[in-house]
Amino acid sequence: MWKLTAKTFIALVILFYIGVNSLWGQKTHIRGFIEAHTSLEDSKVSFGLGEQDLFITSEISDRLSFLGETVFAFSGTSESSFKVSIERVVLKYNFKGNHSLLLGKHHTPINYWNDSYHHGRVFFPTIERPLLFSAGIIPIHTTGLSIQGQNLGDLRFGYDFLIGNGIGSSDILDNDKHKSITAAAHIKPADGLKLGASFYYDIISKGASVHGHDVSEQIKQSLLTASVAYFGKKFEVLAEGTLATNRVNDVLRPHTTAAYLYTGIKLDEHWVPYMRIDNVHFENDEVFFDEENATAFVGGIRYEINYLAVVKLEYQFIHGEVSGDNNKVIAQVAVGF
Amino acid sequence: MDKRKLIPVKCWTFLLAVILVSTGHVRGQGELTVIGNGKSVPSALNMEDLGAILKGETQRWNDGKKIVIALMKTNTPIGSDTCLRVYNMSGNELNKHFLALVFQGRGDAPTFFTSVRDLEEFVSNTPGAIGILDNVSDPSTRVIMVDGKKAI
Repeated sequence: MWKLTAKTFIALVILFYIGVNSLWGQKTHIRGFIEAHTSLEDSKVSFGLGEQDLFITSEISDRLSFLGETVFAFSGTSESSFKVSIERVVLKYNFKGNHSLLLGKHHTPINYWNDSYHHGRVFFPTIERPLLFSAGIIPIHTTGLSIQGQNLGDLRFGYDFLIGNGIGSSDILDNDKHKSITAAAHIKPADGLKLGASFYYDIISKGASVHGHDVSEQIKQSLLTASVAYFGKKFEVLAEGTLATNRVNDVLRPHTTAAYLYTGIKLDEHWVPYMRIDNVHFENDEVFFDEENATAFVGGIRYEINYLAVVKLEYQFIHGEVSGDNNKVIAQVAVGF
Repeated sequence: MDKRKLIPVKCWTFLLAVILVSTGHVRGQGELTVIGNGKSVPSALNMEDLGAILKGETQRWNDGKKIVIALMKTNTPIGSDTCLRVYNMSGNELNKHFLALVFQGRGDAPTFFTSVRDLEEFVSNTPGAIGILDNVSDPSTRVIMVDGKKAI
């Protein structure tokens, strides 16, 4: 039986004091993002609750910080009908000026959307992500180690170099010996303007489970992306293109291209009518992605109540070569708190 | 005209003006002063560097100390002035800018204050802190020269 002696009591008091002080000494912020929507599709009106995003940042020391993003979302396969997923867990160590080392689970810094908006729907310029996300072209997460620099020189140059567990790996273990490599660079030559490009390479092992499928052959995947983003006082433009190549046995080299263009006009500080055009095209002998060429048009209007609350009304049209045409009208309220 | 009746009217008008100005309801585009902590923060900056610092683009002082930004809340007259004149943004745009920066994991939000004295005290007591206010009330507060001037 464990007894509380005077020495143990004093030790516990000291430990408690140290613990409380270290908790009070660090700055920790908890924020959240959530969205709710209603849609009209096939003459049926539905109401839906979107992801609830729990976002935590903490300043552990002058140079070390933590960022965590956990999402609670509907899941048809869960007993509780909801699932919890850890989207980002990043320890960041600033080693000099604007240069940092980051360790953890990242949103792969492979294109503007994935690196900027994450799961905060209040930031999205449209209600949903572009088609290239639902087509599974972008490896959204990478667990690994990265080095990052930002706002360097007159052009405000920035870079991210990330080495991590590749496609098919879990959050705690790589499924093979190959590491994925992401290299991204951007400049911000004027306020609101960001030009970026990135490269991703990974060897996906035979037997790896990706998006519910087992990969039948080893695939060498490379992705090249380019983006132009301008969010100014009057206009908003965001254009991104991705060229994906999945190479099998150095014989097959099918290419996939995915691109979208978003434009918006700021009528005033609150109202922004916008549109987005998407296209995803696969070559016939594609071996990794679900091969469905698709185009989409999105048109809508956004009302920004303030920086923490945004209402959007949007018409979506998607044409898929296999799934056919889909029309939807959707309204969404997204908030941050 | 009866002068005896005019005097109280003038007094009331003067009193009202004093109250409005002191509570910040009537405020012109007054001058803003940049203050900094005695540790790490240089005594003079140029406007370009100040802009990069206050937007969260430059994150460390030359000695490696982290930059801590202190601002008046965007819904206060000084905060609103700061947004427009230093950031060329509305208060809402400034809050959105910093929320996005924090969410992307690329920077920290400023510490916001409703009281000028609290801001001044925070900057004086926090190594690496830089802040903006209208007038310095404590003579020991360190004023940062911007482009050779004490006010912007």
